[in-house]
Amino acid sequence: MILALTIAVLVAGAVYLVLQKDFFRVVLGFVLLSHAVNLLLFSAGGIDRRGEPLGSGPDPAVTADALPQAFVLTAIVIAFAITIYLIVLAVTGRPDTDGDAAAGAAGTEQDTDDEEARR
Amino acid sequence: MPLSLILALAGGLVLFAAVMARVLGRRAGWPIAAGMGALAAAVAARAPGSGAVTETVSWIPTIDVALRLRLDGLSFLFALLVLIIGALVMVYSSAYTSSKGAVGFYTLMTAFAASMLLLVLADDLIVLFVAWEFTTLCSYLLILRSNRKAGPPATRTLLLTAGGGLCLLGAVALVSNRTGTTELTAALNHEAWAQDPGFAAAAAILVAVAAMTKSAQFPFHSWLPDAMVAPAPVSAYLHAAAMVKAGIFLLMLFAPAASHSPVWPVMLIGFGLITAVMGALFALQRTDLKELLAYSTVSQLGLLMAVIGVGTPDAMLAASVHVVAHALFKSAGFMHVGFLEKRLGTRDIRELSGLWRSRPWDAVMIVLAAASMAGIPPALGFVSKELVFDSMLLLPAGSALGWTVALIASAGAVLTVAYSARMVVTTLPGPAMRPNEGVRTGAMSLAISLAAVTGTGIGLTVWLLDDLLAPAAAVSAGVGAGEIYGLSLWHGFNAPLALSAAAVAGGLLITVRRTAVDRLLVGRSLFPSDGTTLVQASQDGIIRGGRRVGDLTRTDSPAAHLAVPAVLIAIAGAGLPLLWPGWGTANVEAPDVPLFIMVAAGVIAVIVARARLAAIISVGVAGFAVAIWFFVLGASDVALTQLLVEILTVVIMVLVLRRLGREFTPTPRARRVGAGIAAAVAGVTAFFATLAFTGHRGLSPVGEYFLREAENDTGGTNVVNTILVDFRALDTLGELVVLAIAALAINSLLVARRPVSGPAPSLLRTPLADPASNAVFLRVLDRFLVPLMLIGSAYALLRGHNDPGGGFIAALIGASALALAYLSASSDENRRLNRPYRAIAGAGIIVAVGCGLLGLLDDSFLRPLHFDVLGVHITTALIFDLGVYLAVFGVILAALNLLGTRQGAQETAEGLPAPEETPVTVAAPVAPAAAGRGHDDGHSTEEARS
Repeated sequence: MILALTIAVLVAGAVYLVLQKDFFRVVLGFVLLSHAVNLLLFSAGGIDRRGEPLGSGPDPAVTADALPQAFVLTAIVIAFAITIYLIVLAVTGRPDTDGDAAAGAAGTEQDTDDEEARR
Repeated sequence: MPLSLILALAGGLVLFAAVMARVLGRRAGWPIAAGMGALAAAVAARAPGSGAVTETVSWIPTIDVALRLRLDGLSFLFALLVLIIGALVMVYSSAYTSSKGAVGFYTLMTAFAASMLLLVLADDLIVLFVAWEFTTLCSYLLILRSNRKAGPPATRTLLLTAGGGLCLLGAVALVSNRTGTTELTAALNHEAWAQDPGFAAAAAILVAVAAMTKSAQFPFHSWLPDAMVAPAPVSAYLHAAAMVKAGIFLLMLFAPAASHSPVWPVMLIGFGLITAVMGALFALQRTDLKELLAYSTVSQLGLLMAVIGVGTPDAMLAASVHVVAHALFKSAGFMHVGFLEKRLGTRDIRELSGLWRSRPWDAVMIVLAAASMAGIPPALGFVSKELVFDSMLLLPAGSALGWTVALIASAGAVLTVAYSARMVVTTLPGPAMRPNEGVRTGAMSLAISLAAVTGTGIGLTVWLLDDLLAPAAAVSAGVGAGEIYGLSLWHGFNAPLALSAAAVAGGLLITVRRTAVDRLLVGRSLFPSDGTTLVQASQDGIIRGGRRVGDLTRTDSPAAHLAVPAVLIAIAGAGLPLLWPGWGTANVEAPDVPLFIMVAAGVIAVIVARARLAAIISVGVAGFAVAIWFFVLGASDVALTQLLVEILTVVIMVLVLRRLGREFTPTPRARRVGAGIAAAVAGVTAFFATLAFTGHRGLSPVGEYFLREAENDTGGTNVVNTILVDFRALDTLGELVVLAIAALAINSLLVARRPVSGPAPSLLRTPLADPASNAVFLRVLDRFLVPLMLIGSAYALLRGHNDPGGGFIAALIGASALALAYLSASSDENRRLNRPYRAIAGAGIIVAVGCGLLGLLDDSFLRPLHFDVLGVHITTALIFDLGVYLAVFGVILAALNLLGTRQGAQETAEGLPAPEETPVTVAAPVAPAAAGRGHDDGHSTEEARS
């Protein structure tokens, strides 16, 4: 129940952020979304059993399902790589010669978009 | 020799052609012609007579597709035509083409021949279709490569012929579904053709349209004249034996089955006659010899199609003879035009003259070819035209209709005689022209003469063709070979002869009065719009339409795209009550609530944050809370990974902060409200969906298997790690590849589009915030911490199989050490980060794949091997984990390197060797150092190239 609430909060925050104008916020939203999905995978594996799947002969009655854990472990790293990629997208796109640096910094994403469209 | 071997050799000839053309340049035409001749001999040795040779090579047994081959009378005729005309054209090409580009030309021409051979030998609908498309592609490429302006005509050709290909695909699907087999002979002999008129009509129309596009019949005729941008040998082959003859072959192949439908003869005779007359009229209008010949092909093929539509054994015999006659005179014609163009630099009949004086032999040859084209005795063209008229007069539908058809055909013949004569009378007389220097014409003349002399000589001895043509006609008429009459040059005084004579007389009259006719026809458009314009317009229209459809979703705002899945999921959430299984078990434990509060606080803080830094820190809070969640749920490995990733995410985000403004770009209020509503709905949906879809069952059987058997199967006691490197190593390998691609993508993105440079951070202006002196404590600490972390990283890697750790975690620890070293460095130009990240990431994949290949020693890719060395258990899974380590390390290194330093790794040379250089020797990750270095060479060459 509480886990479901946590997922819900993360999803809500993620959806709100990805619909914002600033691309960096979209990236943050993506990070939150990946948390939500990872927790959902855990939830799918069942959260009644919370023992560590370590050591000789773990007892299946109390040990957590190791399969979702393996999925989530790789998912975290891949989501990380994608996050880096998105971050790079966030900082590329506007040319350096954009004149006034301050304007460039405060520049709206719309500028970026227009320039991409022109290319 | 088996048919499959002949086909394989035809395929081998393509490679042979490529090699020969590389070595010999254009003279490769000779050995290739010899190869085609040998293949023709091999086919001839299998002459099927009135029977058939069949062969099957299994291809896709599960759906009953096989490389079924069949050599019967019809395919024998076409196979010989393809190979012999091919050989002639190759001989011609050895003089015509230039050595530059000879490899591409000869490769494609032989591929063209091989595709045609496959097409005519196919006894399977699928194989037939594949070969059909091959010929389309070959002709497209041959036209495309001919010169720079060939793009649009080649594309138009492809558009029309590939459209016909789709019709054939439809026919193949229809026929194989209805008859239940893809075997061609069986499908064509199926009773459905006779019993199911709807099916027969649909299949007949599809086949006819496919053939009409291929053979350039009205209304698809425009591509053939369009395609004459191709060089003369390509045109000669395309018109005489290859591309357009594929359509005729298809019609003759399907005729016995498709003629069950009354649509078939109506369509074939109707469109065939229209095309025959129209093409001949267009040909008469042209002054460009090549264009004239192209329209002549359109016209001749129309006549062929009409006579195939008649469908009687006589008609099929006429079609067979005309196929041969046309192949000979048309290849001679095109090669002759190419010869003129090469030698005199023009192919316009208004400029050409005096061939009789300068090259009497070639002049005789073109007269022979034109005579065959016009149907003057004793050329083969005369024999075929007699037969065509004869079979049309005996049309099964009645003699009145037969006479009508024959009269229309003879109207076409009048025009044919006229344009054939025009070709001769305008170029032969008059003063000789000055030839271009250095054009060797021997091989060209030889090829032209062979085709032209054969075309006439064989008319005199036409009974020699009986054995070749009677079986072909029998197959396409669906009768026994005994029902086909023998061929002869002279049939006595009869109606066909009268029609022929009338045609010759009419044609000559037009020729005599040609100035008047020219004034009437030349340069005048007979139709309101020509085909090329229409095809081009439709092509442009399709592209415009596609753009219009694309516009519906084309926007550069990410939100517009990202909102779609959110909204769709929210809508799907409306269906949740239908699936609601109850609340399930209330699995709440003590730490859950504070963790929820932490996550919620983090999320709310991100949402309200205006400053980027605050948002990044808040995301970090949520991330750490999630990491603890993982720990509470019994996943220490995952929790560790999450923790390390969270740290590195914050580091990398902070790296790019200086390029962006301090605060977020504000979002308009209306959009915030919309986003808030979407977020609320999505959150509620997520909550109920989680409760509805998860937590309603116990441990999965596969999960239980892993828990019970992991140690027995793999010798590791960290079940999660054994899943990653043993049980599901292939998944992990795929993930490594994704990571390495991410490293490359980051690299290319930053190379292709330079990052924005934000405002100079105002922080730097105060002495307190001076990063150089500020970081001094960290720098001191760093000397001990970084080596320690790297040792920890190696330790985590080694123990991963049994205890929390493993490649992912170890790499993250190692990367954190580097991040720490980076953060404490005194300047941007920090050489220690200048590691070959691409090579490291690549080495990760190579190590992992190499380890997987080792597994083949034990029968399976990626199966770990186990050894006991001095009492210590060792498994190759550890090597695989090393691959994981390298790939993860590579991608993070790429990010630090490219985002952290001023211009990526490119401008690091000016940086002073920092005092922190010492730990760097260790900073090369302990275990991967060797592998990374091993790839340094590859890396540096790559750098040099870029």
